[in-house]
Amino acid sequence: MYLNYLANIARYIPELILVALMAGLLILETTYREDEKNKKYIFIGGLIGLVVALASLVANFSGKSETIFSQSMIIDPFSTLMKIIMVLGTIGVFYLSRISKDIYESLKTEFIVMAVGILIGGMILASANNMLMIYIGVETLSILSYVMASFKKNDERSSEAGLKYALYGGLSAGIMLFGMSHIFGVLGTIQFSGMAVNLLKLNQAQMLILMPSFILFFVGIGYKIAAVPFHMWSPDVYEGSPTPVTAFFAIVPKIAGISALARIGFIFFTAATPMRASWILLLMAVASLTMTVGNVTAIGQKSVKRMLAYSSISHAGIMLCGLVVINDIGVRAITFYGITYLFMTLVAFYIVSIVQDKYGNDHFDRFTGLAYRYPFMAVVMTIVMFSLTGLPPLAGFVAKFNIINALLNSHFYTLAIILALNSVVSAYYYLKIVRLMTLKQQESNEVIEGFGFLNQFIIIVMTAPILVLGVFWENIMMLANGAKIFFQ
Amino acid sequence: MHGLDLLSWILWMPIIGVLGVLFLPKDNAKAIKTWALVNTIITFALTLVLYSKFDPTVSGMQHAFNVRIPWIPQFHIYYALGVDGISLPMILLTGLLFMLCILSSWTQIKKSLKAYFALLLLLESTVFGVFMSLDFFLFYVYWEVMLLPMFFLIGVWGGENREYAAVKFFLYTFFGSLLMLVGIVALYFATNQSPDSFNILALQGGKFTTQTLSLFGTTVSFSKLFFIFMFIGFAIKVPVFPFHTWLPHAHVQAPTAISVILAGVLLKMGTYGFLRIAFPIFPDSAKYFASAIAWLGLINVIYGALCAMAQTDVKKLIAYSSVSHMGFVMLGLSAMTIQGVNGAVLQMFNHGTSTAMMFFLIGIIYERSHHRWIVRPDGSKGFGGLYTQLPIYSIVFIIGMFASMGLPGMSGFISEALIFLGMYEKFTTITVLALFGLLIGAAYLLWMFKRMFFGEVNPEVKEYTDMTKLEITYMIPLCVAVIVFGIYPSPILNIMKASVGQLVSLLATF
Repeated sequence: MYLNYLANIARYIPELILVALMAGLLILETTYREDEKNKKYIFIGGLIGLVVALASLVANFSGKSETIFSQSMIIDPFSTLMKIIMVLGTIGVFYLSRISKDIYESLKTEFIVMAVGILIGGMILASANNMLMIYIGVETLSILSYVMASFKKNDERSSEAGLKYALYGGLSAGIMLFGMSHIFGVLGTIQFSGMAVNLLKLNQAQMLILMPSFILFFVGIGYKIAAVPFHMWSPDVYEGSPTPVTAFFAIVPKIAGISALARIGFIFFTAATPMRASWILLLMAVASLTMTVGNVTAIGQKSVKRMLAYSSISHAGIMLCGLVVINDIGVRAITFYGITYLFMTLVAFYIVSIVQDKYGNDHFDRFTGLAYRYPFMAVVMTIVMFSLTGLPPLAGFVAKFNIINALLNSHFYTLAIILALNSVVSAYYYLKIVRLMTLKQQESNEVIEGFGFLNQFIIIVMTAPILVLGVFWENIMMLANGAKIFFQ
Repeated sequence: MHGLDLLSWILWMPIIGVLGVLFLPKDNAKAIKTWALVNTIITFALTLVLYSKFDPTVSGMQHAFNVRIPWIPQFHIYYALGVDGISLPMILLTGLLFMLCILSSWTQIKKSLKAYFALLLLLESTVFGVFMSLDFFLFYVYWEVMLLPMFFLIGVWGGENREYAAVKFFLYTFFGSLLMLVGIVALYFATNQSPDSFNILALQGGKFTTQTLSLFGTTVSFSKLFFIFMFIGFAIKVPVFPFHTWLPHAHVQAPTAISVILAGVLLKMGTYGFLRIAFPIFPDSAKYFASAIAWLGLINVIYGALCAMAQTDVKKLIAYSSVSHMGFVMLGLSAMTIQGVNGAVLQMFNHGTSTAMMFFLIGIIYERSHHRWIVRPDGSKGFGGLYTQLPIYSIVFIIGMFASMGLPGMSGFISEALIFLGMYEKFTTITVLALFGLLIGAAYLLWMFKRMFFGEVNPEVKEYTDMTKLEITYMIPLCVAVIVFGIYPSPILNIMKASVGQLVSLLATF
């Protein structure tokens, strides 16, 4: 038993690296004086740690799929790829937090430590193979998020965001736990593999009685990915939190929640049972609501950050569409979507953050005439907006195309049409930014300090995948295709 | 393979132009314009080479020019290009109009020249892409990418209300094309993801007549559902009656050259889509909906003409006349007879030249007057007596107007006559009603002419100068085209005959 434990630990190196990193950074942060030099060390140390973790994840990717730690965790290409996306997102956000003025100088080091913590939570969630690990993952993710959301102590909106997040989070965690305990009561185990076996032994009536518990279970994760109707917290939290935190929330918890949902779908609902039908119905309803509410509400927003918050809700909805079809094509589509979503979100938040730092707010007007002052940045922002809309030949289009592919392959015509119509709605508000940047004359000649050479370079580097994946997407698609979900 | 080179060269030549424009210095306006002009002349010359090498006796795609290179093999997506008798006239028209548009933009465009010419050339490439693609995915990519340059060209260089027009144009077209995308993916699975599932040619021939699918719990015919999807996608572009509302805005706000491209080429992409995709892939549904299409076409003809008559803005008048003329194309298509479809394709070409003339001419007068009112909102005349002041302009205008009206001896007449011939037996009532469209067409054009060119000379008009040499230069090819193809349409008719025949016989089997 113990030997098994040690044998497995090799597959868990990325997480261990991050835990060590978090502990190390915490010690550094608390022991040394808070001056510019030490902050730099913590930042660089954090980056190096993440890169090492990334390297070990990449090394892990081609390894065989297996369960570790007495089947409580699962390491398969799917979880590894999702973790790679999360780590990449964290790396991107680290640099953003460094240049952002939205985070208090004194809290930047704390941000780095906490981000690593949340990342660990997300990775647990992506690998979880029993209900306890799901719960631990969600809670690790959440508790640090509450603190992060209220980072701007002196800002009312930020405090409100933190409180709101904590209240909603506590409630939904409670609901999830309630659902889990009922499931445990019926199936007699918390291990996913055992649960799946016991589930099939139930008769039809028992299954229908158990289904509400799965819905409660879903609530906990649906809350993390801000699926409608559990999204109420998200716009306020996104708007209130400092921009790098918002960018982080838009990437890591979403990807983690989506991967957990994908696994749950695969483990419990592959067999044709009445539960599968109701699960699909639930996801379909949630996905179409999430897309529609996210998009329609985004139209009326005056703050770009809030608009992006709603847009990220709708993108979560699109990823949920990929989960409705419980098969490899769907998983492939959401994995690819996750990759493109990562780059699009990062670039959008970088630019919004830099513009916001200059003017102190992120109203749409701040983007007026940007094309005449910073043509490169305006072009990049335009590319990202069109990619988010889903226009070829950009990565966002290919991602959407694949989701539609997955849906139609399983004959979900209605959902595919809802998705298509939602894209039109989303085009309106994405175009709004493009319109302001390019079609309106410039408002001022002010220099935006954030658009220095290095930052522009980094932004352009992050935009490159959006362009490349729009045309030459076969290799990444095959990579995503290899990232199959493993279950016993 | 020489042919392989040719189509790709035509397609990518404007992109070379875009790169060139981007590398030229911003302030060197002359170099940018000259480069763009040279580039479009080369492109047009290449399309003429294509015309000379084209074998009019062969129906379907000409194998000498076909290109088929794997792009994303896992999904069976190819970079596949080809040309047949239906696409060749459109390719020629595109090459010609873009060249003339560069000339017309020479003095009219004053701000951000570099971006303007780069976007214009990008637009040219995407239009060629739409007319040449034989892979459905590639077709869709070009169809959508075309929105980007159009959005900016209308939105940045347009008139006062340009933003609204640009957004409306974008959203409308995007809506239609997304429905088409759903259709494309559905076809991909309907063919069991076979190697030919994105191949437009292989999909043709009514392979989906018996398939069904369930939607909202009811069983519907696969072919009919997705024919409607594609129909909406293409109809928005044409634009067919209920989907036409974006067009007047886009036209009125767009700068002259863009109006010309919009009316001359982009509208044809919609009808081209019917000919290349919607009809051959779903022939059974096309047959099924033929009379509905004919009625919609009739509404276009009459409604567009009546709207045109009510306009006081001359550009809006011509924009609505486009709606009316594209209605004739729809009528010809719905007839599904040799004469009807030949007439429709010829009308696509002829409308491209005649409406381009009209928009150019409006652009020319706008440069002098800075307004386009036939009758100003306060009731006074906007122009008046142009005929005595601007003789050359008036003559060119008369040629354009009569071509647009379909006067015998001018290009519009032949295509409209063919359309009526083709549809008379099938839709007699509609034919008779559509003839009134011609009458209204003559009425609004002549009435406009009377109000603008005759009558008391408006004092403002006295200050206008006649057409410059540059303006005459780019009007001459179009004048020649509308007159020559009015008397002797065979050069165009011959190349399309075989391909149209093939399409009609396919439709006849259902």
